[in-house]
Amino acid sequence: MAITDRHLVTAIVVTHDGETWLPAVVAALASQTRPADQIVAVDTASIDSSTKLIKAARIALIAADRDCGFGDAVALAVAKMPKHIEGNSEWIWLIHDDCAPTPTALEKLLEAIDDRPQVAMVGPKLLGWHDRTHILEAGISIAGNGARWTGLETDEYDQGQHDGIHDVLSVSTAGALIRRDIFEELGGFDSNLSLFRDDIDFGWRARVAGHGVIATTAAVAHHAQASASERRSVDVNGALLHRPLLLDRRNAAYVLLANSSWWMIPWLSIQLLASAMVRSIGYLLAKLPGYAADELLAVGTLIIQPAEIVRARKFRKTKRLVSSRVISSYIPPRWSQIRLSAARIAEVIRAKVIPVTESSSVSVLNSLEEEDLLVPTQRFQISKLLKNPAIFGFLSLAIITLIQSRNRFGALNGGALVASPSGARDLWGIYFESWHQVGMGSSAASPAWLAVVALASTLFLGKTPLLITIFFLAAPLLIMWSGHSFLRKLSNNQFITIPASFLYALSPVVLASVNSGRLATLVALIIAPQIPMILSDWKQVETNNWRRIYALTILLAVLTSFTLITTLASLGVIGFAIFSDYNEKLEKPLFLARLYKRLTLLIFPFVLVAPYSFEALIRPSRFLAEPGLNLAGGSTALVLSGNPGGAGSLPWWTVSPILLLLIIALFSSSNARSFAQVGISFLSAAVLFSSLSITVHGNSAGTRTWVGTFLVGATLASVAAGVVILDRLRTVLIASNIHYRHILAGLLLIITSLYSISSVGWSITAGADSPVQSNMKGVMPAFLTTEADTKTLVLREVGAENSKSIQYYISRGEDISLGEPDVAPGQVRAIEIAAQELIDGSGINSSQVFSSYGIKYVFVKNPFSRNVIRTIDGLGGFARTSATSAGVVWRVTGVTGRIIFTAKDGTRSVLEAGEVGARTMVYGPGSITLTETFDRSWQVLQNGYRLDRAKDEQSLPQFQVKEAGEISLIHDGTIRRAWLSLQLIAWTLAIILAAPAGRRKREISVKELA
Amino acid sequence: MKFEKPFLFLSALIASFMIASGVTTVSKPSNYSESYPVVVCPPTLKGLTSQISISSRKVQYQRLENRSSKTVPFKALRFPVTKDSLVISAQGTTPLIWQSRAGSWAGGTLCSGPSSAAWFVGGTANVTTRGRLILVNSGLSDAIVDIQSYTENAKQPIKSVNLKSKSFMQFSIDTLAPGDKALAVHVVPRSGRVNAFMIDEQGAGLKALGGDFVNSYPSAAKEVVIPAIPNQLPKKGEKASSLHTLRILTPGDVNTTFTLEVLSADGSFVPVGMSSRSIDAGVVSEFSFKPKISASAFAVRITSPEPIVASISSSVTLSGRKDFVWSTATPPLTPMSIAVTGLSPLIAFAGDSIAVKVQTKLINGKTISAVVKGSDIATWRVPENARSITIISSSKGVFAGALIASSNGYGFIPIQNGSALTRVEVPNSNIRVLNP
Repeated sequence: MAITDRHLVTAIVVTHDGETWLPAVVAALASQTRPADQIVAVDTASIDSSTKLIKAARIALIAADRDCGFGDAVALAVAKMPKHIEGNSEWIWLIHDDCAPTPTALEKLLEAIDDRPQVAMVGPKLLGWHDRTHILEAGISIAGNGARWTGLETDEYDQGQHDGIHDVLSVSTAGALIRRDIFEELGGFDSNLSLFRDDIDFGWRARVAGHGVIATTAAVAHHAQASASERRSVDVNGALLHRPLLLDRRNAAYVLLANSSWWMIPWLSIQLLASAMVRSIGYLLAKLPGYAADELLAVGTLIIQPAEIVRARKFRKTKRLVSSRVISSYIPPRWSQIRLSAARIAEVIRAKVIPVTESSSVSVLNSLEEEDLLVPTQRFQISKLLKNPAIFGFLSLAIITLIQSRNRFGALNGGALVASPSGARDLWGIYFESWHQVGMGSSAASPAWLAVVALASTLFLGKTPLLITIFFLAAPLLIMWSGHSFLRKLSNNQFITIPASFLYALSPVVLASVNSGRLATLVALIIAPQIPMILSDWKQVETNNWRRIYALTILLAVLTSFTLITTLASLGVIGFAIFSDYNEKLEKPLFLARLYKRLTLLIFPFVLVAPYSFEALIRPSRFLAEPGLNLAGGSTALVLSGNPGGAGSLPWWTVSPILLLLIIALFSSSNARSFAQVGISFLSAAVLFSSLSITVHGNSAGTRTWVGTFLVGATLASVAAGVVILDRLRTVLIASNIHYRHILAGLLLIITSLYSISSVGWSITAGADSPVQSNMKGVMPAFLTTEADTKTLVLREVGAENSKSIQYYISRGEDISLGEPDVAPGQVRAIEIAAQELIDGSGINSSQVFSSYGIKYVFVKNPFSRNVIRTIDGLGGFARTSATSAGVVWRVTGVTGRIIFTAKDGTRSVLEAGEVGARTMVYGPGSITLTETFDRSWQVLQNGYRLDRAKDEQSLPQFQVKEAGEISLIHDGTIRRAWLSLQLIAWTLAIILAAPAGRRKREISVKELA
Repeated sequence: MKFEKPFLFLSALIASFMIASGVTTVSKPSNYSESYPVVVCPPTLKGLTSQISISSRKVQYQRLENRSSKTVPFKALRFPVTKDSLVISAQGTTPLIWQSRAGSWAGGTLCSGPSSAAWFVGGTANVTTRGRLILVNSGLSDAIVDIQSYTENAKQPIKSVNLKSKSFMQFSIDTLAPGDKALAVHVVPRSGRVNAFMIDEQGAGLKALGGDFVNSYPSAAKEVVIPAIPNQLPKKGEKASSLHTLRILTPGDVNTTFTLEVLSADGSFVPVGMSSRSIDAGVVSEFSFKPKISASAFAVRITSPEPIVASISSSVTLSGRKDFVWSTATPPLTPMSIAVTGLSPLIAFAGDSIAVKVQTKLINGKTISAVVKGSDIATWRVPENARSITIISSSKGVFAGALIASSNGYGFIPIQNGSALTRVEVPNSNIRVLNP
């Protein structure tokens, strides 16, 4: 074909182990509508048949070393070309060995530059090699964090949406046409960029030298991206350990630092380092430690060789003709990067949640368009919607919940639930701090559920009260959803699964938990149905992969963080399973495989909530505690019926069908028997533990254990057994004559119906007045909260109308908030005696005791026995300061405060104290008594030295001061910080192990890639 | 066996239930400590002599103004007091104090625990009065007491008094409503451990007109029983019998009526003019009556649609000297003990059906029992060598009062507990109190 244009084009093909693609590339070059005037190939010592293929195609071949980079290879070819003649329009066309231009590619590239004399570089639209509708690039740029920027979506389908000629920062070297004179003038590709990003660098340099770079989509090439997608080994000089990602990231940073304005370099360095760290964390989560290391090494290798950057910048300075700012319009704005990232994440989530199902498309020919005109339009009908059992079920539950929760629209507390702090920050504070200002003070480890709630609060803009209110409102619906997601695995009949999950959401344990503020039980009710879904085969646990085991570990850890009852239940279930495995006399490898996975599920969740869980080993009552106040559960008989009892629970006459269902299912011949066995086990445990009383969470009186968490297992098993039975019962009943099954079914139906009616009726009437309410008035009067750092002994008559009892605790000026009961210490014996004597009138020394423990006020909250108030009035050492409708306040006479200084002559004075630590002056030798519980972490420093610490007569920390001067009181939180660090590491490890593993690029199929 | 496993699980559940029911370790939500609060006796005012009857020599006491908490035993069964008010750890047997002014009057009252309120219906604020209201603060903190007086003319403004810890205060009752004759005083401690006592002593110039303790009653009620009213019978040849004056007040805001029924050995009856008699609210009313009865003591039962407080003043003559006795209302009889060493009171029981078992402990340590039965009223004289009497049991609706005669005068003592067994709950430490 005769060449009619004025250009002279030399195609340079660089090959490196490219036999896979080379035949197509050579064919593409040969079939150009405007052939290249000359074709030169540079082979970098390919170890496959690439050279043979080149030679067979009669293309001139230049041999290069194997570690020769792409730029160097091109430079070799250019050097061998005849000298450029001034005035000639001479171009070099760079062809990768995995890049096949379409027949019109060169013609269209030349057309684009015909009337654009300023253009130095022009590139085609790059499409996928395998999926030829997949657009890869139409011009490229670089983001501030070094990411290669194409402006395209992932797997974007090419339908001409980017067509046209675009001014761009650069184009890929694959198929790029570069003016030879400018190429030589700019010094070719940077030899430091042996592979990757050399294209962006060259485009950038061309731009600041005053030339144009364009992409024309009329020209098309198909690119396999073999090096980037790790289809072949990267052997170029500088490619440490032959890792393409490392080279790519290193070169990206190099391009940015070598070309950007000098004043941008600090900011760019930070950005590069931060993004490298973020990406490496992401890769770690995806279990790709190699890639994570690449990210950090890339930046590292560049930082240790700053001379390279300096040289590169000097060289560029000599070629720069225009301001660096000319490229700013080609750098993608940060907002575009965020938008694109968000879209990609959303797409990943969508693909997981709503996977695309392949649907058979209906032929247009099959549609009856004419008939459509005759058929009346189908309108949306609510009645039809309500006939859907799922919608009807959830809607009914939502209405019942709303009516039942009419007193719960606002910040909640009451029952076991205490008031929430205003923000997640306060929760984090309680979680992180090593010392808690509760009662006489406590160094107990905060439970991990605080961190879970604080994290969840972030979704509500840090508003914890809002989170708690919404959680309690939505809990029944979440429980029903979770229950249904499990039950539908057991039966496809929605008319069985929806009522069953509805009953699960209205079970006695749910109603009691919502009404009495049991956070842990509610979380257990939501999580429990998900456990059998994750671990499909518990018996043959070895068939579940480790990722699944770790996912369940995290779920169990979340549950364990709320209540250590989970550990007890796991111990029972796992212990029984190991025993069964042992009895089966399995082969050792199989036995061990099961043992490891079972023990992981038992031990790892316990470790993840350390140190709170470890402390429970020395305070075993914590194993039966739930978050919040320690309120009593119900009697053993009530528990046997599936009702945990206690404040806010269903009355005894609303007998639930749980026990009956379990017993019937126990004698069933179906799978329901397995569920019944599990349910009966949980019920037995609940009954046994309900007989115990525990002293925990700042309550010195033994309180009957709340066994709601055990009953979650019994309730769920009972509902599941019911679903299994009912699923096949209908057909059995129809097919058989009347016998005991009919009677049992009828009985069960009657009891279930009666329970449904009575429980719903109760919950929307009397149940609405249960202990958890919104906007309840605080306990502490405002005037006692104003004096900072003051201990007040609060006396109250609490309990039901007929069983009120006098109780007391030390307040730090405010009502308690979420998390504080869990770390509340027990009472000091001396204070217990003093409080008792205060009530019975024999406490002549009560005020002295209170004073020595830093208690400044005694507050009796109304209503209270007038006789006791008179008794306190009559005791010495208490000066009445106020009597209001809130109650009566006495000031404890004597010198008292948080930090008391006793001089050598015995004079006592109160020193200024902060919230936990303090910095204050002492004016002579003496002793400092801190009226907080003794703890080894309390330290007082003076002149940089620690003062001697001892216990005083009241077992309070006391420090000996030898001279006047400034002192600093601190509570050393090093141990707490260490625990938190370990916890963070353990959780990160668990999440990484549970997260789906990422694939290295070489593991991704070609089809998926292109 | 087909159902071996199901039965195994079912058995496990039943066993769990039985074990749980058997070994429930739940402790009681609250425990109680029981004790008798210390009782306080009134101080001995200038010119008076006092003697306290105690049931045991080992009973511990402490002088009111003693700042230490140390107590000492009495080492005697009758203890003379010169000045101080005594705080006694009586341990259930209420001590009794008998005070007298030589040649003028005598009267007694129970040493009692701190009260939440006390009604004194008695005394006068006119020129004849030498009466005193005594407030004792036995607590270690200062006390504030409100005093509300009522007279035949009007309800008086509330007077608030501050009392230092471990101290007493006395002031003339004429300062409560100067010039008024019929007084009723309501003492309400606002804070502190306070006891109140009232002495009504009268005289005209140098002539003593008698005196007595006015015993208190805790609250107004719709039925008031005054169980022991002395009825000095006329000697041969004399016409007049004792004059009795009912002093009555309805402290509410509504006028009311009352009916007074005399309960005597001669039968029960309503004296003329004492049926549905109207009285004004907030104003003290007085009504005199002279019932013709043959016994030396009688009782009255006063009923009203509105709560009332009442007492009866009876004139007596002793060795030609005039004296009077304030008989006050008492609560229904309950088991109790009162120390009576050195006294031999006449106890009158009033009620529709009286059946009271009384045990007397003598000075020599022996005990004797008696059962008092009757209807309307029954009297029983305590043996002279008794150290304490104990009401073992009593039928319902029985009230009792004691009349004591001495060389210096007559006195009335309500038979009631001076310090009831108090059951105080032992408080628990629970952080729950800091949550609404």
